[in-house]
Amino acid sequence: MIEYLARRLLALVPVALGVATLTFAIIHLVPGDPVVAMLGESAAPADVVAMRHQMGLDRPLLGQYGSYLGGLAVGDLGESTSYRRPVAQLIVERFPATIELAAAGMLVAILIAFPLGIIAGSNPGGAGDLGAMGFAIIGISVPHIYLGPLLMILFSLDLRWLPLTGRDGFAHLILPALTLGTALAAILARMLRQSLIRVRESDYMRTARSKGLSERAALIRHGLRNALTSVVTIIGLQMGALLSGTLITEMIFSWPGLGRLLIGAIGARDYPLVEGCVLTFAMTYVVVNMATDLVYAAIDPRVRIS
Amino acid sequence: MVRMRKHTARICWLASIVAAASLVALPGCDDSGASHSPGTIQVDLENSPPSTDPRFGTDATSSRVNELIFDSLVKADGNGQFANYLAESVERPSETEIVFHLRHGVRFSDGRELTARDVMYTYDSILAPESLSPKRSSLEELKSIAAPDDYTIVMTTEHPYAPALELATEGIIPYGTPLPSKGLTPAPPGSGPFRMARYTRDESAVLVRNPYYPYPDTAPKTMFFKVVPDPTVRALELAEGVCDFSGNNIEYDVLPWIAAHKDLAVSKTPGTTYRYLAFNFHDPRLRDVRVRRAIAYSIDRATIVNSMLHGTARIATGLLSPESWAYTSNVTDYTYNPDEARRLLDEAGYPAGANGRRALKFEFKTTPEGARVGEVFQAMLQRVGIALTIRTLDFATYYADIQAGKFDLTSLQWVGINDPNHYYMVFDSKKVPPGLNRGFYSNPAMDRLVEAGMRTLESAERAKIYAQVQQLAAEDLPYVSLWWVDNVAVMNRRLAGFDAYPNGSLRSLATLTLTNPRTAAPQ
Amino acid sequence: MIARGRNPSLSIGISIVVAIVLLAITGPIFFRTDPLAIDLANTLAAPSRAHPFGCDALGRDVLARVLWGARLSLSISVVVVTASLLVGSAIGGAAALAGSRIDNLVMRGVDIVLAFPGILLAIALAAILGPGLVDLAIALTAMGWTGYARIVRGELLTLREREYVLAAETLGATRSRLLIRHLMPAVAGPLAVQATFGVGGIIGAEAALSFLGLGALPPTPSWGNMLDAGRAFLLVAPHLTTAPGLAIGLSILGFNLLGDGIAQKIGHRA
Repeated sequence: MIEYLARRLLALVPVALGVATLTFAIIHLVPGDPVVAMLGESAAPADVVAMRHQMGLDRPLLGQYGSYLGGLAVGDLGESTSYRRPVAQLIVERFPATIELAAAGMLVAILIAFPLGIIAGSNPGGAGDLGAMGFAIIGISVPHIYLGPLLMILFSLDLRWLPLTGRDGFAHLILPALTLGTALAAILARMLRQSLIRVRESDYMRTARSKGLSERAALIRHGLRNALTSVVTIIGLQMGALLSGTLITEMIFSWPGLGRLLIGAIGARDYPLVEGCVLTFAMTYVVVNMATDLVYAAIDPRVRIS
Repeated sequence: MVRMRKHTARICWLASIVAAASLVALPGCDDSGASHSPGTIQVDLENSPPSTDPRFGTDATSSRVNELIFDSLVKADGNGQFANYLAESVERPSETEIVFHLRHGVRFSDGRELTARDVMYTYDSILAPESLSPKRSSLEELKSIAAPDDYTIVMTTEHPYAPALELATEGIIPYGTPLPSKGLTPAPPGSGPFRMARYTRDESAVLVRNPYYPYPDTAPKTMFFKVVPDPTVRALELAEGVCDFSGNNIEYDVLPWIAAHKDLAVSKTPGTTYRYLAFNFHDPRLRDVRVRRAIAYSIDRATIVNSMLHGTARIATGLLSPESWAYTSNVTDYTYNPDEARRLLDEAGYPAGANGRRALKFEFKTTPEGARVGEVFQAMLQRVGIALTIRTLDFATYYADIQAGKFDLTSLQWVGINDPNHYYMVFDSKKVPPGLNRGFYSNPAMDRLVEAGMRTLESAERAKIYAQVQQLAAEDLPYVSLWWVDNVAVMNRRLAGFDAYPNGSLRSLATLTLTNPRTAAPQ
Repeated sequence: MIARGRNPSLSIGISIVVAIVLLAITGPIFFRTDPLAIDLANTLAAPSRAHPFGCDALGRDVLARVLWGARLSLSISVVVVTASLLVGSAIGGAAALAGSRIDNLVMRGVDIVLAFPGILLAIALAAILGPGLVDLAIALTAMGWTGYARIVRGELLTLREREYVLAAETLGATRSRLLIRHLMPAVAGPLAVQATFGVGGIIGAEAALSFLGLGALPPTPSWGNMLDAGRAFLLVAPHLTTAPGLAIGLSILGFNLLGDGIAQKIGHRA
């Protein structure tokens, strides 16, 4: 296991480097002059030159790339032009809120998917199955930008059960988490259903039945255990959607996380902050992917050997 | 198989613990301990005040918050008159001198007594070039300021300066207050009814009473300003009794819904806030007055005011509203006339193509709140063949751009115009950024008039001069006048005695009567 | 989900997609109301005979805007998916044919692009390129080509080892031409599935980017920017949210079902 961990960590380095480079490329190799975009077209040439020098943009590209990487190594992501504070500091401040939302979304997804998947899988073709899978296909298709406001209308404005926007306590987390987690719940539910159906027809079930266990208990005990690997796989595959979904959900609910920081930075043409946020999101995803691989390896020893 | 079982069980436990922990470890509410006490009122703001130092806050939000914290020698009432605040009496021994006698025993919220030394320091720090204070430009006429003793301030101007009392409207900070630096700036103590207890940018500002400023028992003791950019949430918070007061930031379309609530009172009073469309005279196309007039004729202000604004404004003829002593209605009128607009554009050399479009394209900069009106302008200008693209920026970026004169067209408002000398501040060719002439307007005739208006002390004479100014402004169109915004205040009925100032000031919140303790816990 | 005989996903999916395409093409022809015409007397009007879906904050007809939004969403999606397919196939094919060193390099490149979760890459590009439809298309293509690259590369690599290819080679046919001739039938199915899901995905991505202000600019109606504009009026005019929201949801649903259906169909054959 340790050896696998070490191997994966090592494989992380070139990907991390690649991500950092691509982010650098996007921000720095754009058509048009970012300084002019920041200062405006009627800016005095002297101001443009000064700003360019201040941001280090008048140095050769390789030099900029070098100091960019050097800065990354020590955690220096430059200074935000709109907040006048270190980018790293701003990111560290907002990051927990995003993680909280993502974790809550995942939790909601699991809480919704398991009962749905079990209902669907234990009686395929039945009413429960059709209902659950109907919900699932809808859940996958409704985008966050509609589901969020829909939930807001229903639960915040009509019923007044839940607060509308912001982050100020547990109640504020519910609607954003629901919005974020529904699509993932739908996918998970389908996967669970499939797993359960497979298990039903498998050897495990015959053994369990012959042992005298009730159909339901056997199904749950064996089915779920075997479904676990698939669940982890799906969660791993959907992590990307979850993370970028967090970005959109934060905007809908005015959730003060990294996504909102990024969109604000784009609006303020604060390129150092945009760069830092994009990099953080991408790196988080890379790390989460690695973590998923590790969990997978922990569950299924066969993976470690390959 | 056994190994897998142990592993999977362990993983499940781990996962659920992590998930539960992340939820439990939520940060608590942002400390609204202060706002839970009785005697607190919550006011929702559209955006965070960019500056809590009165030497720097020129935008409306900053001014409104700072007004509750800082006092000035005198204050403008919005109709061209001034009331004494820190000054007990004011004398004008000569045409170029004003003497202010300070009241004794006025204290800052930290206990220090306010004396002439603090006034001197405030003005000196604004005037120092390295301060980069945007207020510097409005103090240009101040030749010198002196404090012959602890309770006397003498201001001298180089020439006779009619609106001299305007110089005395700067909020006074204690001697020695440093300039705002990078990062967070706590607000300096002021001598006004409140002090800033805590300011969290983009979240809230908590104001508590200045212990040395007397107030009636029934008045609010704490003001909790919450930044709520979402207009729906602002409306909800009012409806639920969480927010007690909202000044001029409820969407017009939501007003009927709000007015239907039995706990809420909506007050609508004519305001002096002037909404206008600004041109950038660096653009040669906009320097042609025919283009500007065409744009003025192509905007159907009546329909906008009656339909979109639900009648909560009056069509404006110029910077000064009828409340001003210098107001004249005898100016060129630009009632909606798209045919005239098209004729002017043809004459100016921008003929319309087959599809009605002309070779005229401008960028309209705005905040998200202003985008809707922007789209209306876009549609209306398109009818006469002008293409307008809309560039939406967040408030802070937008305001910084506007202050530096970086725009083609934009729409803004002037809040709190008191003396007609404001014309000098915004139209004189010397007042380009960092001054308030953000469009770089330059017209020698206008310069002559506004400078004369500034120097003439006699009111009847001044009135005549400003009549000409208003006429010239309507002819030459440095701005297109849009409308004067009514002051629409929504408040919970437990607040009594709110005086609506024409300039939308929140100062009267300090002397409200709270008729019953809050019934809903603020959030 | 091996349905015997019937393929409900396919039939429902086709119905929805055809309906949407028809509406997008013919809708604005039959319902001639101008989506850009403002009418301030009717701001936020509720649905009525004259305005079946009501009016938005500037009095523009919502149904007209939804129909024009359909045109925009579908055309952008088709353009982006086509571009992604061409670019992706070219890169994937080149990688498979060029030899293992270049192949490895290209696959590293794919990994790096895929290291950006969801629409993050599109957002970053759109942020730098600026709003506007052309830049939006470029940003979305940059995000979407990887799936097609993998499919083409995978098939080509498998084919290389197939017996009939080896056999044909011994008969003198050039390898590349052979591979490409045998590639098409093998790859058409998976590519079709990917492209179908892709259209649904791009519809969602375009809506999200326009919602964030990085895509279609006002006054151009896009379902995404309509949803964004509707947010300020949830309280008094929820119809502004329902109309474009349902449109997006139904479209994505249709393409998802269609993709599912096609996948089932080819799953059967293989």
